[in-house]
Amino acid sequence: MSFEWLTEARLKVKALVNRKRLERDLEEELQFHLAMREEKNRTLGLAGDEAQTAARRQFGNVTLVKEDCHELWIFSWIETLWKDVQYAARILAKEPGFVTVVVFSLALGIGANTAVFSVMNAVLLQATPYQHPETLVTLWSINKLDSSDDDETVPIADVATWKKANHVFSDITAVGFIDPATLTGLGEPLQVPVQFVAPNFFALVGVQPVLGRVFRLEESHEDSQTIVISDEFWKTKLHGDARVLGKTFRINDVDSTVVGVMPAGFKTFGPWMPAKHVDVWCPVNPEDARYANRVGFWVVPLARLKPGVTLTQAQLEVDVLAHAFEKAHPQHDKGVGERVISLHDTLYKYAQSQLYPLLAAVGFMLLIGCVNVANLMLARTESRQKEYSVRASLGAGRNRLVQQLLVESGLLTLLGGSLGVLLSFWGIHLLRAFAKELPNAEDIHMNGHVLFFAVALSVVTALLFGLGPAVRASRPNFNDTLLQGESRTSTGRHGRTRYLLVVSEVALAMVLLVGGGLMINSLLRMALPSPGFDPKNVLTMTVKFPETGGKYLQKTPGKPLERISPEVTFYHQRLIEGISVLPGVESVGMITMLPPTGCGGRTFSVLGHSAPPDGKPPFLCSNEVSAGYFRTMKIPLKKGRYFDERDTTSAPWVVLISETTANRFFPNEDPIGQRIQLHYTFNEVDEERPRQIVGVVGEVKQVGMGGLHPLVYEPFLQQPEVYPGGSDGFHLAGTLVIRTVSDVYTREADIIAAAKQMVKQMDPDQPVTGISTMQDVLKDSLSSYRAYVIVLGVFAAMAVLLASVGVYGVLSYFVNRRVREMGIRYALGAQRRDVFILVAKLGLTLAGIGVGIGLVLALGLNRFMKEHFWLFHVKATDPLTYTAVGFLFLCIALLACYVPARRAANVDPITILRHE
Amino acid sequence: MGQKKAEPGDLLRDTLDMLILKTLSRGQMHGYAIAEYIHQTSEEVLRVEEGALYPALHRLELRGLLVADWGASESNRKAKYYRLTAAGRKQLAEETARWGRMTSAIARILEPA
Repeated sequence: MSFEWLTEARLKVKALVNRKRLERDLEEELQFHLAMREEKNRTLGLAGDEAQTAARRQFGNVTLVKEDCHELWIFSWIETLWKDVQYAARILAKEPGFVTVVVFSLALGIGANTAVFSVMNAVLLQATPYQHPETLVTLWSINKLDSSDDDETVPIADVATWKKANHVFSDITAVGFIDPATLTGLGEPLQVPVQFVAPNFFALVGVQPVLGRVFRLEESHEDSQTIVISDEFWKTKLHGDARVLGKTFRINDVDSTVVGVMPAGFKTFGPWMPAKHVDVWCPVNPEDARYANRVGFWVVPLARLKPGVTLTQAQLEVDVLAHAFEKAHPQHDKGVGERVISLHDTLYKYAQSQLYPLLAAVGFMLLIGCVNVANLMLARTESRQKEYSVRASLGAGRNRLVQQLLVESGLLTLLGGSLGVLLSFWGIHLLRAFAKELPNAEDIHMNGHVLFFAVALSVVTALLFGLGPAVRASRPNFNDTLLQGESRTSTGRHGRTRYLLVVSEVALAMVLLVGGGLMINSLLRMALPSPGFDPKNVLTMTVKFPETGGKYLQKTPGKPLERISPEVTFYHQRLIEGISVLPGVESVGMITMLPPTGCGGRTFSVLGHSAPPDGKPPFLCSNEVSAGYFRTMKIPLKKGRYFDERDTTSAPWVVLISETTANRFFPNEDPIGQRIQLHYTFNEVDEERPRQIVGVVGEVKQVGMGGLHPLVYEPFLQQPEVYPGGSDGFHLAGTLVIRTVSDVYTREADIIAAAKQMVKQMDPDQPVTGISTMQDVLKDSLSSYRAYVIVLGVFAAMAVLLASVGVYGVLSYFVNRRVREMGIRYALGAQRRDVFILVAKLGLTLAGIGVGIGLVLALGLNRFMKEHFWLFHVKATDPLTYTAVGFLFLCIALLACYVPARRAANVDPITILRHE
Repeated sequence: MGQKKAEPGDLLRDTLDMLILKTLSRGQMHGYAIAEYIHQTSEEVLRVEEGALYPALHRLELRGLLVADWGASESNRKAKYYRLTAAGRKQLAEETARWGRMTSAIARILEPA
């Protein structure tokens, strides 16, 4: 093998560096030859000019030879390309309007797609950090008698039973909720996210601690346990202390000794919590006798399929076993089946349901952008037909023409793509706000993968909109074009193609607008109406006493009963009294769970009413409150009376109900004075004694901002001392609502400091959590939905903008092409109004057809929207939304028609006709 | 940039290349002299346009078979002189051998049996 190519490259580079010299040398060499030949000819007897002419004849085409030689010396394709780029840049610079629209259309499409891809890439395309995650499944309970078909958590005792009974799983473990717990022993009491898992969890997912080991069951006792901590907790809170193993803290008043540190990047999940950070893992033993009563519903079983067992086979076996459970525990497990769900779906299904509509939206946007660009390119190709014909006649090959056009579209895409990547930084920022509750959300950022996606997308786009017009341009009938010049009156076949494109982009944008409109409508209906109370100038904070540790909650040995220390009620009461006398405080109340964060589930029956026909007791949403709660929150009294100082522990037990409760359960009678018996839902145990309804209060959005639930309020003073197991946590928590006399933000610092001081005096290990203003609580409750709606709304708005630009573009083109016809029309006596209407009518017809098709398409897609868009109080076929967005779009289209129509109407006939 | 493989259709081009190499084996020459020499020795059998010589020369130069230098001609003009490189000599030998084999093969076919 010779190194010819090396010599060649070296020489070519030399020639490239000194291009002028190459030209000069070539010129001189050929001139030398011609001169020599001329001289020879003269010696042969030819005179003067004849000698020179003969020399040239003998030589052949000098220019061609020069070009042939020249071509040998250059890196031909690169240089032709460079020339094309220069030419394209010159041509494009002359058309800033066209370039702006094209670049903007592409930038929006590519930017939005890149941003959404960055989320998909982080959330969905990352491997679950467990060994063979594809053979991991979770088990959920479903109530076949219930129409909702929701997945529920199973009793923790099931995990133990499953382990013994099944043949399809190689192992099974329990993964608990992730809840904040109080950690003391590190300076100030801390709230850290804690998760209870069975000790075999770590081995089952195949991840071992980087330091130490996992905990063992025999180390877990009533008042002490061993724990495993996260890498992050170790590094930030413990400063990476190498002697961390053996350190002991108190977590919820249980002595907890660190025995292991998990590796960085280890992720966990909980029931309905696909993505939550955990700092501390504590052991739970599903086989513990205390869970035998099957009332603990706070874990999800995680199992590994035996090799070769499919999900369907596992489900079959689970069905059989669930049937056996139903027989064994008719009381709890009636109609209860279990469902096997792959870990992948457990973790990502929710994220998928959120991301797919976004993906569809940005896909539509890109498509609209491409249609826009293709349309403009088409129009441009037609008006440049003459240029192409001339170039082709002068000998430009078809390939050169296609290459030239592809270079132009490539340049446009480069601009659009770069701008799109810039835009996507902002888009990613916007998406992070809504995606913060999705798994791996912390990994959402611009990176190599995302950038590669943007580049690949740009290339595909460039080919998509560039190749069509390029091929079209390369095969016109040049003779015809040159002979006829431009056709000026007919719109012809190409006109129809353009109209078709405009109609389709309007239709696509319309579908997006309907989707966005439905979501915005839904958001407005959630956010606009009053939450049922006045959130202004209200400060909130929570004091939740720990369940474990035995200080505030004592378990009754051998019985599923738990006794709450009277200090809990006493401390909360003292806090309310103490804060209410602070300067600047108008009034103070307390509730277990703030609206709109939730309530405790209770079933109930009305004394003297017959049982409901289906045998299922109705459900109420319950909270314990202080007497001052309603006045502080300004929740209006509708009937009867508020709680007051009469409702003490020893007085008859009472409740307040909301209007929804009153209307639903007492439609034809006065609820005041009725007596109800509440039951604990987990174990169907009656409350100690019945309660009397003393008043009806206004509606409150207690559970999310979506719907209204039937509410019941119990005085926190009128509570039992002993609870059935699992129902006690409620009374331990109290959230204070503090109304200030003036702006809450100027007062909050003093109040918070005073409250913390009071709590410290009661129990120095007790933290105060959830400090926030009521307005912020409300804002937070909607923040991720709001962010989602904003994202979709922005996408829809951009799509509409793009489609309007499309309408504008095609009309402008129409007017330009027919300007001569307009001139003639004026000359023949047409009114400006007529011409204006002619143009506007065309635009509105196109937009109208597009809007119509879009509405029909959206209706067709309403099933998808119902499934993937969270809509509250709005049907996916809501006529108001459809009408409103249709009308809105037509108005925008009218605007897009106005400018070209105006221009057509202002045509000066004399100028036009003279121009001919 | 890679070297181009000779194809059957390039027979004329290959022949021209070979003639140039052969011509230059006598020493360095400028383009005009090469053209003249080929004209004379081929007794005007190979009538190509003289211009066609130059792309061929440049191609051979780029392949590293020739090197070129500027010098003064007999009539004291500036001229570009070409001469063979080692690679060029080797190429010429190979080509000549191949040519010989081919012509003798053709001759055998055409000879009466």
